[in-house]
Amino acid sequence: MAASLGVLGEPTSKNVLSCKLLVVGAGGIGCELLKNLVLTGFHDIVVIDLDTIDVSNLNRQFLFRKEHVGKSKAQVAKESALNFNPNAKITAYHDSIMSPDYGVDFFKKFTMVMNALDNRAARNHVNRMCLAADIPLIESGTAGYLGQVTVIKKGLTECYECQPKPPQKSFPGCTIRNTPSEPIHCVVWAKHLFNQLFGEEDPDQDVSPDTEDPELTAEAGQTALEQKEQSNVAGGIERKSTRTWAMETGYDAKKIFNKLFRDDIKYLLSMETLWKKRRPPNPLDFDNLPHTECSEPSTVMRDQRVWSMKECAQVFSDCLAGLKKEFSNQGENGMLVWDKDDELAMDFVASTSNIRSHIFGINQKTKFDIKSMAGNIIPAIATTNAIIAAVIVMEGLKVLNGRIEECKQIYLNRQPNPRKKLLVPCALDKPSPKCYVCSSKPEVTVVLNTEKMTIKTLEDKILKSALGMVAPDVEIDDGKGTILISSEEGEMEENNDKFLSEFHVGNGSILKCDDFLQSYELKIIIAHKDKLEEDKEFDVVGDLSELHAKPLVEQPTNQNGSTTSHQEEEDDLMIVDEVEVIKSGTKRKADQEPDEINAKRPKSSGDHNDDIVIL
Amino acid sequence: MSAKGKSGLDKNNKYDRQLRLWGDHGQTSLEQARVCLINATATGTEILKNLILPGVGSFTIVDGNKIKGEDVGNNFFLSQENIGESRAKTAMELLNELNDDVNGCYEDENPETLLENNPEFFKKFTIVVATGLSERVLLQLADVLWQQSIPLLVCRSYGFIGYMRLVVKEHTVIESHPDNAHEDLRLDRPFPALVKYCDSLNMDTMNKKDHSHTPWLVIIYKYLQQWKNEHNGSPPQNYKEKNQLKQMIREGIRKNEDGITEDEENFDEAIKSVNMALVPTRIPSEVEKLFNDPCAINLSPESKPFWILLRSVKEFVENEGNGALPLRGSIPDMTADSGRYIQLQNAYIEQANKDVAVITDKVNMLINSLAKGVSISDQEIKLFCKNSAFVRILRCTSLAEEYNSQTINTQDIGSHLEDEDGDSEMIFYVLLRGVDRFYEEYNRYPGGDNDQVEPDVQLLKGIISKLIHEWGLTSNVKEDYIHEICRYGASELHTIASIMGGCAAQEVIKVITGQFVPIDNTFIYNAVKQTSFAVKL
Repeated sequence: MAASLGVLGEPTSKNVLSCKLLVVGAGGIGCELLKNLVLTGFHDIVVIDLDTIDVSNLNRQFLFRKEHVGKSKAQVAKESALNFNPNAKITAYHDSIMSPDYGVDFFKKFTMVMNALDNRAARNHVNRMCLAADIPLIESGTAGYLGQVTVIKKGLTECYECQPKPPQKSFPGCTIRNTPSEPIHCVVWAKHLFNQLFGEEDPDQDVSPDTEDPELTAEAGQTALEQKEQSNVAGGIERKSTRTWAMETGYDAKKIFNKLFRDDIKYLLSMETLWKKRRPPNPLDFDNLPHTECSEPSTVMRDQRVWSMKECAQVFSDCLAGLKKEFSNQGENGMLVWDKDDELAMDFVASTSNIRSHIFGINQKTKFDIKSMAGNIIPAIATTNAIIAAVIVMEGLKVLNGRIEECKQIYLNRQPNPRKKLLVPCALDKPSPKCYVCSSKPEVTVVLNTEKMTIKTLEDKILKSALGMVAPDVEIDDGKGTILISSEEGEMEENNDKFLSEFHVGNGSILKCDDFLQSYELKIIIAHKDKLEEDKEFDVVGDLSELHAKPLVEQPTNQNGSTTSHQEEEDDLMIVDEVEVIKSGTKRKADQEPDEINAKRPKSSGDHNDDIVIL
Repeated sequence: MSAKGKSGLDKNNKYDRQLRLWGDHGQTSLEQARVCLINATATGTEILKNLILPGVGSFTIVDGNKIKGEDVGNNFFLSQENIGESRAKTAMELLNELNDDVNGCYEDENPETLLENNPEFFKKFTIVVATGLSERVLLQLADVLWQQSIPLLVCRSYGFIGYMRLVVKEHTVIESHPDNAHEDLRLDRPFPALVKYCDSLNMDTMNKKDHSHTPWLVIIYKYLQQWKNEHNGSPPQNYKEKNQLKQMIREGIRKNEDGITEDEENFDEAIKSVNMALVPTRIPSEVEKLFNDPCAINLSPESKPFWILLRSVKEFVENEGNGALPLRGSIPDMTADSGRYIQLQNAYIEQANKDVAVITDKVNMLINSLAKGVSISDQEIKLFCKNSAFVRILRCTSLAEEYNSQTINTQDIGSHLEDEDGDSEMIFYVLLRGVDRFYEEYNRYPGGDNDQVEPDVQLLKGIISKLIHEWGLTSNVKEDYIHEICRYGASELHTIASIMGGCAAQEVIKVITGQFVPIDNTFIYNAVKQTSFAVKL
């Protein structure tokens, strides 16, 4: 079959023919990878992806055509690949790899796992499953012209989680609701507004003024509250959910506009403490919009110029009408899911975030740029994926031949670096003895306020989101084995709203967490602190010695560089982001000299990449 | 770029993820490009795949071969049932399915015949990509294209080795997208509108809110003036003096009634930005060199717009610009109230527009004096001015020069061959040149037949020694390498084709869009060690 087997040599060709492969992800890298595997002679491949095909995939995910839009990526990828090579045996699952159906035993069936993923949560999970099953894993990622491949083998190399990743940036609720100062704050608010009106109503995504802003002294908040009751301008409707109220108005554009952009803003103005040092916002009236200029002549494409306020209001009205219709088509309990590639949903966010920006004196942005911010878009092209997918196969062949010690971590540069290298191989690092995932006795310290942290938040935000667990069981290491959280549905739910302190969890307490699916046990040491920096709810630190250490990298200050706490997962996400690569440069060795480290992933100011957020 | 393609899909959506890399104008260039592929090898079709997906205008495959069993084994775009059919036709049809907005054509003809009978055929292409050609035919093709000034990209996958060579007479790049571009702020030589604006603000009399929302650019400007006044008009020269300026700024932070310093983010930003803001305005050496290029000095009616633009900028620098390039006209994001941020931004934009206007006059004068029929659009002039610090030029050597032992860059070959224990990727270049000579002599590649590997190793060794000798070098290539390349038997592995397909398509896109600087001029990839290497030959 594949002509290559001869050149690969006898042992390799035998190993290829008998190899059972799991490919996680059938997107940009996945499509290329499937093609390469089939043509290298791999016979037995399982591919899994929960995603469906979108128009914006077609510029690189070549196994898909326009008639496939909306269908399962895994299924179509399999069929297209088989069309080209009917001899291969490919099994497709349209499913999440994080589902309990794919436990350690499932992973153990494979010779090797290849990740072609786009998000950190799934990468964390597959990393743990492969460690638990002791199966070699090839990890990969691309972003624009940049790409990376690495090999993970339990006990031999660093695991995906050995190096701490920078936390996904989130914004305090009061910044979003009361005092935005950057475009991204308004974009996040606009996405919340979409969900409040048409999507899944999440109390954490409230868009109305926040009277519990820590900046407000008790008194000031009180004044506002009283005014609210008196004037009943914004107050009367606060009691209802934004959605209920909007529905009652029949999604009347003028009424909703005036509530969000006039009355709520006036109400915010009444919280005077907020504006002592800030520029106060200017309420807008639907019937009396300011004459703002377009940034560019109208010949410039609509997405590429900043809209005037009148245009914004018009787009807002049109979107509201359109979305109302879509929403009612969903039926009784239906809802809309915000999608950056949906025109109406995107226009809605572009118009409302720009109106809010105008009110707060923040620079307005083009829809093209807002799409980047709101959708957390990472540019993606065919060429980078083609290169990275092929590098994965080359590394996979070394693993198959038992030459894992020859494997490298490989970076693809945008252009040859000063040492004239486009692809840069680096030695794989040894596992970190302090890793809270792959070390023999994993433990981690979490700083939080035990009097304000509920069990539910501990489970959702710390164990699942920050620490990547799927279904944790938690007990207190107090000699009694008090159970806090159970992975059995319905069990221990009465604990949800209680605070940690109610279970006598305090500074130095130890929680034993166990994720059965991931075969992963973690000891959490609680460090109590009354107030964390930047109003964070918690902080995960590797061990206590890191608590006082300075952060390794500065956060980017570029306004566009911010991400939201509600990340959209995007295709072909990098394993690491730019900041992280620069950082990891300090630990690189063997194949390169220190002088090229900075040249490796330089941040550029002129490039569109800067608008892009990478996890 | 038109909004809807033939496919009926909105192109903004379909191409969204790449528009964020090369912009609408890059996409337009891509959609207007006509690419020719010589031979639908695995490497060739992989390159085309990566050009068709992002929406190249059209492609033409020239290939006189019929599909053989071995083609199907490594080429995704040929299948079993097509064995015996035209390779050009089948590959074109399957590739064309990837994107309805791309036009596919084919010529079921031997490239050599086409070169002999109809060399004009190639004139219509933006770039030609050659794979699977013998040295003799490749040199013929390269000659024809060189004469017609059509860029050529040669690419091959040979066992575990990838090779790529760009042959372009002159390629100019306006948007080179440098990795570390400095801002163009001109604090060392402020233009009148900037001086006027900064002087109109009085930090001492501002209220608290305005004080903490004054853009850091203004803050640095103010303290820099103060510094200059105290130091005979010269700016901070060294680390120590810059730190003193930072200290001055730090002391400018307001204090509350209790004498405690306020939190003023804009001042923090100013302190952080001092080093960057004090980088003197100067003309990069690459641009200086271009100013003195004969093409810029001796304009003719045949001169490309790039040279007319460059000459206009040069004249601007020598006259109105007082030694500086036109202002870029952008400022970074910073903490500020939007009113003043926009005023400041406008000061920069207006000055940049003024510079563009001066240069536009020069461009028009030059065009008139050259009696050139074409004009250069305002948009082009603006783009050029904005990027004037980053314009680049690429001039490759011709293949004829490289294949002539008198003119080939033997210095680099020699130094690399003797470099680091003799394991430089340069060895693979020599080996590939060797196997091509082998082919010219024996009409087959070494090691193609398993029984003949040993005798072929000896033959190839002789050929390579001769080649190195012709170059006037004394280096040796280890026999292990010669063994290895013979073992490959000229086989084309799909995985290597895939990597080279990605790398080569990327270079083609760079050439077509005129963005980013293409490789100059040879690229070698070694899959065994995952190393790569670029060299000018």
